[in-house]
Amino acid sequence: MLLINCPYCGERDQSEFTNGGEAHVIRPKNPENVNDREWSEYVFIRANPKGIYYERWVHSHGCKKWFNAIRNTSTDEILKVYKMGESPPPIKGFKNTLKSPSGEPDVGSGNFAVKKT
Amino acid sequence: MSENKIYFKFDGKTYGGNQGDTIASALLRNEVKLVGRSFKYHRPRGIYTCGIEEPNALVQLINEHNEPNVRATVKKIYDGMVVKSQNRWPSLKRDLGSINNLLSPIFSAGFYYKTFMGPKGFWKNVYEPLIRRTAGLGKPPREFKSKSIHLHHNIDILIVGGGLAGLLAAKKLAGTDQDVLLVERDNNLGGILRNSNKIKSIDGQKSADWIEKTEWLLKSANNIKILKNTTVTTYNYKDHLIAIEDKTVGAQPDNNKPELVMHKIRTKHTVLANGHIERFLSFRNNDLPGVMLAASFEKYIHRYGVVADTSPVIFTNNSSTFSLLKTMVDMNHKPKAYVDVRDSKKIEKETLELINNYNIPFYPKSEIEGCEGKNQIEKVFIRTKKDKTLKIKTSMLCISGGLNPDIHLFTQSKGLVKWDEKILTFKPEKSFQNTITLGSVSGNFHFEKLVEEVNKKLGFIEGCNNVNTNIEVLGPKEFYIKEIWETKSLKKSLWSKSFIDLQNDVTTKDLRQAIREGFDRIEHLKRFTTNSMGTDQGKISSINALGIASKLLKKSVSEVGTTTYRPPYSPVSFSAIAGRSTYEFYDPVRKTPIHPWHEKQNAVFEDVGQWKRPWYFKKNENESMRDAVQRESKKVRESAGILDGSTLGKIEIKGRDALQFINLMYTNSFTKMKPMSGRYGLMLGEDGMVKDDGIVCKINDQHFIATTTTGGAASVLSHMEEYAQTEWPHMNVFMNSITEQFSTFNLSGPKSRIIIQRVFPSVDFSNEKFPYMTFKFLDYLDTQVRILRASFTGELGYEIYVPPKHALKLWERIFYSSRDIELVPYGTETMHLLRAEKGYIIVGQDTDGTVTPIDLNLNWMIGKNKNDFIGKRSLNRSDIIKSDRKQLVGLVPIDKSYGIEEGQHVIEQENLSTPIKKPVKMLGQVTSSYFSPTLNHSVAMALIKEGNRKIGSHLFVSTSNLNTIAVEVVKPNFIDPENVRLKS
Ligand SMILES: [Zn+2]
Repeated sequence: MLLINCPYCGERDQSEFTNGGEAHVIRPKNPENVNDREWSEYVFIRANPKGIYYERWVHSHGCKKWFNAIRNTSTDEILKVYKMGESPPPIKGFKNTLKSPSGEPDVGSGNFAVKKT
Repeated sequence: MSENKIYFKFDGKTYGGNQGDTIASALLRNEVKLVGRSFKYHRPRGIYTCGIEEPNALVQLINEHNEPNVRATVKKIYDGMVVKSQNRWPSLKRDLGSINNLLSPIFSAGFYYKTFMGPKGFWKNVYEPLIRRTAGLGKPPREFKSKSIHLHHNIDILIVGGGLAGLLAAKKLAGTDQDVLLVERDNNLGGILRNSNKIKSIDGQKSADWIEKTEWLLKSANNIKILKNTTVTTYNYKDHLIAIEDKTVGAQPDNNKPELVMHKIRTKHTVLANGHIERFLSFRNNDLPGVMLAASFEKYIHRYGVVADTSPVIFTNNSSTFSLLKTMVDMNHKPKAYVDVRDSKKIEKETLELINNYNIPFYPKSEIEGCEGKNQIEKVFIRTKKDKTLKIKTSMLCISGGLNPDIHLFTQSKGLVKWDEKILTFKPEKSFQNTITLGSVSGNFHFEKLVEEVNKKLGFIEGCNNVNTNIEVLGPKEFYIKEIWETKSLKKSLWSKSFIDLQNDVTTKDLRQAIREGFDRIEHLKRFTTNSMGTDQGKISSINALGIASKLLKKSVSEVGTTTYRPPYSPVSFSAIAGRSTYEFYDPVRKTPIHPWHEKQNAVFEDVGQWKRPWYFKKNENESMRDAVQRESKKVRESAGILDGSTLGKIEIKGRDALQFINLMYTNSFTKMKPMSGRYGLMLGEDGMVKDDGIVCKINDQHFIATTTTGGAASVLSHMEEYAQTEWPHMNVFMNSITEQFSTFNLSGPKSRIIIQRVFPSVDFSNEKFPYMTFKFLDYLDTQVRILRASFTGELGYEIYVPPKHALKLWERIFYSSRDIELVPYGTETMHLLRAEKGYIIVGQDTDGTVTPIDLNLNWMIGKNKNDFIGKRSLNRSDIIKSDRKQLVGLVPIDKSYGIEEGQHVIEQENLSTPIKKPVKMLGQVTSSYFSPTLNHSVAMALIKEGNRKIGSHLFVSTSNLNTIAVEVVKPNFIDPENVRLKS
């Protein structure tokens, strides 16, 4: 269970929060002016990387505030939390953080030893 | 001692044990060796270990919980305890299932997958019942009233294990500012100090004295809490661990006290000092009762004072068995033989000295070929270094195949482990979380180096001093081992088996077969053979399986890799997981203020989310649900009815930008709407699909009240919050749930105006002064009542909102005021029937998250002139504007005597063959269907492909007995399509 640092309340158990998917997916200003492809990318398509991910959380069983977090989906490490509206810190600031828990490959998942052979 | 005897029953016979005995130690004390039958072959099984790693000695506790699969080696006895062996019929000694052993060729690896492929129907009728009867472990309890609780800890340092390493770590941290929790799964501290004679003295004292002093020291430091009888089962991210404490050790469960406590521990650092587990070896019939791990045999002596046998044969490949040898000779017991696979030149001098001094029959460079016996071991066969086989009679064989650091929790934490060629096992290599391993779990089997390790690894913690404990070891200081996983079997009889997983009855032959068949990846091998998939998770044998597999695959063990260790470390009772969340505490029950009145009126309740809602009211005991619903529905249309709608979600929206916000949340336009009026609103997701509906009332442009479906109340509010906070944070808008601030009554029917006029005489309820979809506030007692003219039945109707404290009184007043008018209370089923007659949808019944407003022919609700609202753009997507989507229509049976079933398929063909051979083209499905008492026939709503174009045509609806009913497709509006009643 993650330990999440709500920017308004401080560190709380993950069970108090709800994940809101990828952050900084910008809703088109004039939806009528975008084509089907652009619109469907906004509605349906998310990055879902193995690695550093900008995502939204809401402190649903707490202050009910939405905020952004940068999480490494491979290690589950939360590298930064920041309030809605604040500009996202650049990804290169997290290049030196741990890539995976036990040194398994950057891409894919599964048993390290099995992968190697 | 004898006055402290505890008496318990095992398979009907009474035995005496000592205070502190486990079931296993008490049985061994009484020379009982056969305690169970194995899972698949029903072979006799005994006590193999002395702890949590036990694969064999699983028993059933007979008490109010009927606890199955209890480890006899862990569970302490109490007076009057009743224990039964498992997996045997009719009795342990004469078990009929052991015929499986003779059928074993068909029970080999992958047998379940391969054998039960056919013929068709055999699995369900023949194989499964047969397997369920003969395979499997204990019987689960029929009912379980949980008496467990959950506790949370937020600490600085968790020490897992109160053995020597854990105690030294705690001692180092005593008196610092660190908040420390020490967790020990046994009922006392000390671990190896109590379980063996490996340590001669510690700080010049006897082990027991040192433990007592250290415990006192830790308790008097005010920063350390000790939990005994507590097993850490789970190591989550981020340094979040779960431990289960057994509060009833050595006592009958108390009905008024928690039995288990689940500790949820969040810590800054985790010190794993949870030791090691001895592993076994595979040889012919290595499962016989009387075969026991050497360190476990020794633990029974030191920990429980039980010598299970005075002249066992010892079989080893490493130096750890020295202490057993020493223990035996110190007690003047001479082992029958000491069989060591190592060359005598490679055996440590301390062991050789003992063997010489006490003249113990010694077989270096030899191995146990196998053993034999009926219900327990009777003789062993030794293959000597000259390759001769020698038979020795014995009733006990103590084996040691090496020591495995107990890396289960470490790997759960996602730490990296590495194969160590010197000690021939996996040990922690790199921590992923804030994990520190100490002692044998880190692969350090050298006690004299332990103090140095503790000082080094915990040195970074502020305020702690070095510990200077002096440990004097008895016997070899280093650990020496020679690789061996299995010995070669000579005798081949059907009964001869060399096991790799005792609990799941997996043999080394199964492993070989699986690898031959191509299961050469360790994760596949495990699943195909079920190796290490029992409740013990192969604690004494999983590394051995890797060893054997590596030999067969001609790879190193590190190349073969380990399988993934997953929580829990040991089985966790559902009771501990449930905690207090059982029965009435599982989910809160929400009742409306009118609930007691409903009960008095014989309401039958329906669960809607957490709410209890009247489903229908029984007029008398004999009235069926169908009759009640028909009666209620008819009365509403003829006279008047009232529904308790208090569960309806209500959200208040306020702020300077409330109008703009509401316009974005709903499809409708609210701009030109007059203050104090209401409008039926549709809410979509950004994908254009209907999410919720309800009436939105405008008080003014800065103040709205939105109602939601009962089930959607919470999600609609969070949907609004999400957009307000994340998409449009510049808007000045606030929302709040007022669901519980107002009780709601839906008064409906042609006579409802007369009734409400009598209840609130000061208000003019005429159609001119109080038209459809308007609402009014009026003072009522010390508060306010809000009345909205709206209806979900198609009849003239009013929704009355009243603060809950006055709700029941007002409800009764309405009935009193209409004592000469027929006013019927109705439930949710009648509500559903009435709205279906009118063609009103229920979100979640007539829609399923793939339905747009256009599919529902609700185009009129879409604000055409609005620039934007959530989901608007999606309504123009190429897939949404396709004309062949499913559309909502009404269905009426052509033969009016037939009823249409909800959920059935709408099809084009009349006749279905039985059984159905070819796929039947499906046009859609029936979403709602009721028998209308007003029309006197069945009416249904359905979503069907190109429904709008099919209006007027004839189709068929399947039935549950594979017939069809001819139906006519109509517009989904069966009563008063011109809304004359609604607006009267
Ligand atoms: Zn918060």
